[in-house]
Amino acid sequence: MTQDELFAKIQSQFPKIEKAAIQIKDYLTVRLASKDDLIPVAKWLKGIGFDYLDMVTATDYLGPVDMKGYIRQANFNPFLPEGATPEIESAPTAGFPYRPAIDHLWSFVSNADKARVMVKLETPRDGASVPSLAAVFKTANWQERENFDLLGINYEGHQNQTKILTPDFLQGHPLRKDYVHVKDRFDE
Amino acid sequence: MSDSALAPIDNETIGGLKTDQMFINMGPQHPSTHGVLRIALTIEGEIIKKAIPDIGYLHRGTEKLAEVRGYHHIVVMTDRWDYVSAMPNNLVYCLAVERLMGSKVPPRADALRVIMCELNRVASHLLFFGTYGIDTGAFTPFLYAFREREMVLDLFEMLCGARLTYNYIRLGGVMTDATPEWIARLKEFITYFKPRLDEYDTLLTYNPIFMARTKGVGRISAADAVNWGLSGPNLRGSGVNYDVRKHDPYCGYENYDFSVPLGAEGSCWDRYFCRVSEMRESLKIIEQALAKLPEGPVMATGVAKVPKPAAGEAYAHVEASRGELGIYLVSDGGISPFRMHVRAPSFMNLSMLEEKLIGMKVADVIAVLGSIDIVLGEVDR
Amino acid sequence: MSDKHDEKKKKPEAAAPAPAPAPVPAPAPASAPAPVPVAAAAPAAGAPAAAAPKPAPKPAPVKVPLPDPVLNRKNGRLLEDRFATWPQRIFDSKWSRPGYQLGAAMLAGIFLGLALFGGLIGELAPWADKLYALIGSFVAAKGLPPLTTDAVWIAIKVLIVLHVILLNGLWSIWWERKISAHIQSRVGPTYAGSPKGWNFHGWAQTAIDGIKLLLKEDITPAAADQWVHALAPAIVIVPCVIAFAPVLFGREMAAASLDIGTLYIFAFAGITVIGVVMAGWASGNKYSLLGGLRAAAQIVSYELPRGFSVVPVLMFAGSLDLSVIADAQAGYWHGIVPRWFIFYPVVGQVGFLIFLIASIAETNRVPFDIPEAESELVGGFHTEYSGMKWSIFFLTEYGYVLLGSFLLATFFLGGGASPINLAPFTLVPSWLWMLGKAMLMMFTFLWVRWTLPRFRVDQLMDFCWKFLLPWSFANILVAGLYLAFWLK
Repeated sequence: MTQDELFAKIQSQFPKIEKAAIQIKDYLTVRLASKDDLIPVAKWLKGIGFDYLDMVTATDYLGPVDMKGYIRQANFNPFLPEGATPEIESAPTAGFPYRPAIDHLWSFVSNADKARVMVKLETPRDGASVPSLAAVFKTANWQERENFDLLGINYEGHQNQTKILTPDFLQGHPLRKDYVHVKDRFDE
Repeated sequence: MSDSALAPIDNETIGGLKTDQMFINMGPQHPSTHGVLRIALTIEGEIIKKAIPDIGYLHRGTEKLAEVRGYHHIVVMTDRWDYVSAMPNNLVYCLAVERLMGSKVPPRADALRVIMCELNRVASHLLFFGTYGIDTGAFTPFLYAFREREMVLDLFEMLCGARLTYNYIRLGGVMTDATPEWIARLKEFITYFKPRLDEYDTLLTYNPIFMARTKGVGRISAADAVNWGLSGPNLRGSGVNYDVRKHDPYCGYENYDFSVPLGAEGSCWDRYFCRVSEMRESLKIIEQALAKLPEGPVMATGVAKVPKPAAGEAYAHVEASRGELGIYLVSDGGISPFRMHVRAPSFMNLSMLEEKLIGMKVADVIAVLGSIDIVLGEVDR
Repeated sequence: MSDKHDEKKKKPEAAAPAPAPAPVPAPAPASAPAPVPVAAAAPAAGAPAAAAPKPAPKPAPVKVPLPDPVLNRKNGRLLEDRFATWPQRIFDSKWSRPGYQLGAAMLAGIFLGLALFGGLIGELAPWADKLYALIGSFVAAKGLPPLTTDAVWIAIKVLIVLHVILLNGLWSIWWERKISAHIQSRVGPTYAGSPKGWNFHGWAQTAIDGIKLLLKEDITPAAADQWVHALAPAIVIVPCVIAFAPVLFGREMAAASLDIGTLYIFAFAGITVIGVVMAGWASGNKYSLLGGLRAAAQIVSYELPRGFSVVPVLMFAGSLDLSVIADAQAGYWHGIVPRWFIFYPVVGQVGFLIFLIASIAETNRVPFDIPEAESELVGGFHTEYSGMKWSIFFLTEYGYVLLGSFLLATFFLGGGASPINLAPFTLVPSWLWMLGKAMLMMFTFLWVRWTLPRFRVDQLMDFCWKFLLPWSFANILVAGLYLAFWLK
C-alpha cells in the first residue's frame, strides 16, 4: 500500500486528519485535529491491520537546550592552551518554530501491508494531557509511563502512571527543555 | 518507581483458610537477571500473584544528552545501549542521521556494515545461549559459547580496537576498511564455527531436560505478542513473521538471500530456537556479503566535521539482536539534535513480564526472563 | 590522556637541550622526594631534638623493588599475537592432536602403573589377617585381656574407613574440578602445591581450600537456634560415615562383614535427611527452611526407587550381605562375558540405570540440585553456614557420591571381579578392580553434573514417582519371572 493510498483511506474515514507539515522522511505522517480523535483512529487502524504500535513518544518544542555549564563547542579541542576561548558554533537556524507546545507521536505498523503510519498531535505544553492507549495496545503502558516520567505528559485513563526510569528523589521532568536539575545526594 | 505499587497484597482468605503471601525481591543483584533489574514478586506458595519489574538502575539519560552533543559525538553514546551487541546501535543512529541529511553511503561501507551487524548478532546470540544454559542449570555450554565469542571479539579488536563498544559505524560510512588479513581471519572463523552450531544443538536444544524446562513455559500467542509490542526473536517465536531486514530493508539487505526462522507456539523453547537458528542465517549473510564485497572507499566524502542537518524529522530502524531498534530524530538545524528518541526493543519486551508472570511458578521466572534476552543498557538507556 | 600529556611534557624537554642541564639538578631532588625529606628531616629533627633525648635514628627506608608489571601492550598495540589462541587448523580427528596423544599415553601409563603396583602387593585380605595375628600375638605376649585384640582391630578399621572418607573428600573434589574444567574446555586448578616444585595439576588445591575453610569465621545468624544450628552438620555426616561399615573395598575387605549389609547401608543413609531439615530450620529464614524441606522431600522420594532397583540384585544373589552379592557375580558365561548383574538381560541394565539416577538425586547433584541452586531464588539449606560447618555438608555430599559409586560397583559391576578372563587382568587384585569400577562410577556422577541442565522441582518429583518407581516395580516383576523360569 503506497502512502497516498493509505492517506486516502484514512481521510475517507476521518476527514479532519491532514498530512503533517513536516513529514518524517520516507514515512506517512498525519496530524490529528484534536486529542479526542486519538482513540477512534487507533482502534480503526488496529482494525485494518495496523495492529503493531511501534513507538509512543513526544517532543517538547519550547526552545533549544542549554544545559548549565556545558558549552556547545564545534571543534572541541581538549589540548587548547590555558586561557584560550573555546570556539562556539552559532545558534540553530533562525526561523525554526519554537513554541510552548508538545508534539506527540504514535507510530503504527502493519505487518501484512508492510506499511507504517506516524500519527502526530500537538498539545499545549502546560498540563499536556492526552488519552491513554494502554487499554487498546498493551505496549503503550510502559512507553506512556516513560513519557510521563521524562516529559510530564498526563495520559488520561492510564492505570499506573508512575515514574519508571528516573529515581524516586528526582524532581521535575528531565526531557523538558526548561528542566533545571535540583541538587540531590549524588551531586558533589 | 513508587513504592505503593510494590506493597504486598493483604492476606486473603481462600475457602476459610488464611493463606500467607510472601513478598520477595528478585533483587538488583541476582545472577540470573542479566543486569541490574529488580522484579518485586508477591508469591503464594509456588504461584506468582503479582510481579512488578523495577527498572531505571542503568538510566543515563542518553536522550537528554543527545540534545547537547554534536552529531558525531552521539555515536559513542549509542554503543552503550545494547552493549552486548553494539554495532546495530551505531548503525541505527547513523542511518537516522543519513536519512535526515539525505546523504548516501558508499557500497563497500554498506556491505561492511552488514557484515559487522551480523557478526555481532552471532556474538550476542552466543552470549544468550550461554547464559540461558546457566539459567537452566547447564554450566558447560556457557564456556563453549564464550570460547567462540572470544574469537568474534578478537576479530572486532583487530578491526576497530575495541571488544565491546566499537564506535565503528560512523556517519557516512565506517571507520576503517577491513584488511585482507581480517577477511581471511573472518573466513577462518566461519569455517570453524559452522560445525559448532550442530554441537550446541546436541548439548542443549534437544536435551529432554532442557525441553521440559522450556517447552510449554511462558507461552505467548501471536496476537498477544503483537499487542505487547514485542520484536525480534520474541515476536518470531510466536509465529509472527516480522523482521525489519525483510519488512523495511536497509544497507542492501534485499540483495542477500536468507530466511527468517519462526517459532511454532511462542514458548521459551521457540524463542531460544529462533535465536540459535538466526546464528546460522547470519553466517549465510556474512558469506554472501564477503563474496560480493565491492571495492571502493568506506567513508563518504563531504561528511561535515560539524553536521548541521536542515530542520526536519527522520525515523530509522534496524533489526538489532534483541529486536527492532529505532531512532526518531528531530533536527532544528543546529549542531545537536533537537530531540532523539530511542525505541528500545528490550524496554518493550520487558514490559510484558508484568502481566505474563502472574499465575506462573517461581521456578519458571528465570526461564521466561532468560528467554526474553534483555540487556538493561537498552531498557534504561 | 595522561600518557599524551606526559609525552607532551617530555617533548619540550627533549626539544630544548640547552636549558636541560640547568633545571635538571633542580627537579632532581624534587623528583626523588622519598629519600630526601627523610635525610632532610633527620638532621632537622635532630637539631631541635638535640635538647630532648635523642630518639634512635631511623634507618633509611629500604627500597623494595616493585614487581614487573604485566606488559602486554606497547604503544597501544598488543605484544603477543591475540590469534595465537585460535585453533590453528580444523583437525580431521582428535587423535592427530599431540595433546590428545599425550593424555592418552598418560592415562595408559597411570593404569599400567597402578596395575603393576597392585599386582605386586596382591590381595589385602591376607595382609589384614597377618596384622590381626600380629596384634593378637602382641596382646598375648603382654598379658592384656584378649578382647583388646578385637578392640584395637576395630579401632584400626574405623580409622581406616574414616580416612577413606576424608581422603575421598580431597581426591574427588580435585577430580571434579579437573573434570568440570576439561569438559568446559579450560584447565582448572594448576598452581596449588609446591610453589617452586611439584605442583602437578594443582594436586593440593582441596587441601588448601580445607585449610582456608578452617580459618574462616564461623558465623551463626542471630535468628538461628544455636544448638540445632551447630548440631545439624554432625547429624548430616555421622550417618554417612557409619554407612560405610559394610561397604566392600575388595575381596573380604569390608570393615564389618554384616549379613544385613545392604539394609544397614540404606537405613543409615536415610538419617541424613534429618540433619538437612535441621539445617534448613535452624538457619532462621524462610528461604533456607523451604530449601531444606524441598531437599528432604527429594531425598526421601528418591530413596524408594533406589531401594527397589536393588531388589532384583538381592533376589539373584539371595542375600543382603555385600560380599555374597559380589561373589555371586564371579565367573564368566561361556568364559567371555562376566556374570555381572548389569549384564543380565534388561533387568540388569534397568536396575543399574535406576540406581544410578536415584543415587544422583540422593546426593543433590545436577540434574537434581534444585535445593542448592534456585530454591526460592536464594541459596539452599546450607546458606547460613560458613567455614568448616559448610565444608562438612560438602564432604557429606562427596561421601555419598563415593558410597553410591562403591555400591554401584558392588551390586552391578561385579565388585572385585576382573572383566576380562585373561592372564594379566585376573592377576590384578580385587581391591584395585573395585577401586577402578568405583572411580568409573564416580566419573559418571561428575560427568552427568556438568552436562545436563537441572530439573524443575515438580518435574523432579514427577520423574521419581511416575517414572522411576513404576519401572523399578516392573523390574522386580521381570526378575521374579527370570528366577522362576530361567535361572534355577
